[in-house]
Amino acid sequence: MNETPALPGATLSAPALSNLSRKFGFWLFLSSELLIFCGLIGALLVTKSYAKEWPTAQELSLWLVSINTFLLLTSSLTVVLAIDAVRSGKTRPVPVYILISALLGVAFLAGQAVEYTHLITVEGHGFGDSFGTAFFILTGLHGLHVFVGVLWAFGVAARARARAYSATNYTSIEVFGLYWHFVDLVWILIFTVVYLIS
Amino acid sequence: MDHAETTPHRYTSPKVVFLILFIATIVEVGATLAGVPRKLLVPALLSISFVKAALVALYFMHLRYEKLIYGVIFITPAAFAILLMVILATR
Repeated sequence: MNETPALPGATLSAPALSNLSRKFGFWLFLSSELLIFCGLIGALLVTKSYAKEWPTAQELSLWLVSINTFLLLTSSLTVVLAIDAVRSGKTRPVPVYILISALLGVAFLAGQAVEYTHLITVEGHGFGDSFGTAFFILTGLHGLHVFVGVLWAFGVAARARARAYSATNYTSIEVFGLYWHFVDLVWILIFTVVYLIS
Repeated sequence: MDHAETTPHRYTSPKVVFLILFIATIVEVGATLAGVPRKLLVPALLSISFVKAALVALYFMHLRYEKLIYGVIFITPAAFAILLMVILATR
């Protein structure tokens, strides 16, 4: 008898298999993103080791950036609370949690805009100096990720409000959570390397 | 169409993890402003930030409860990132 061997995951239904593929693909995407940020952090550290001048923590608005760090950490907490709520079938607070995360993301971007304005107008940094080039590319790319995350969060909040998620249907919000936490994780590294070890 | 067919885990309270992250960040900023000698400060700050990043990955991204393959995918570049940062930041 010639029997066809069962494929791995053949016991899963098509939607469950699709969810597994989405998560697997997204983890691959995040790992490639991590390498991009790793390269940029490395470039900043190398640039710093050859630079004649480098701003101190105070010149880099450490207090403002610390507040921004707390904003991002808090936004991660609200995303986890949203995912935990939807997993346990309590969908009512989900849009509120996600909306809070989005607004915290907006506040982070506003803080970054203030920081950039200070660095450019008061400290006189820009793409003309080695610090400015390395700093603005790294933190700017991260800010772009936050911006994309904010837009995504508003979309997720709208879908959550329309009761699109449930205890058996939450992969989309989970994938958004992975992205948002990744942005937070990268910021933890940037905050230490760029602002604290300066 | 979404359809998660996994049994929900009993997760560690995210509020506890958040509190640890919050306190660790205060310690980092405090140590920087207190003027701790650079030889001590840099390894300490890097260690704290790696622990914080690990907490986010394990408990916020639920890597601790996920399939091993996701961990392997993510930890491999993370190991390179850690190695690069340690070498460049401490030299």
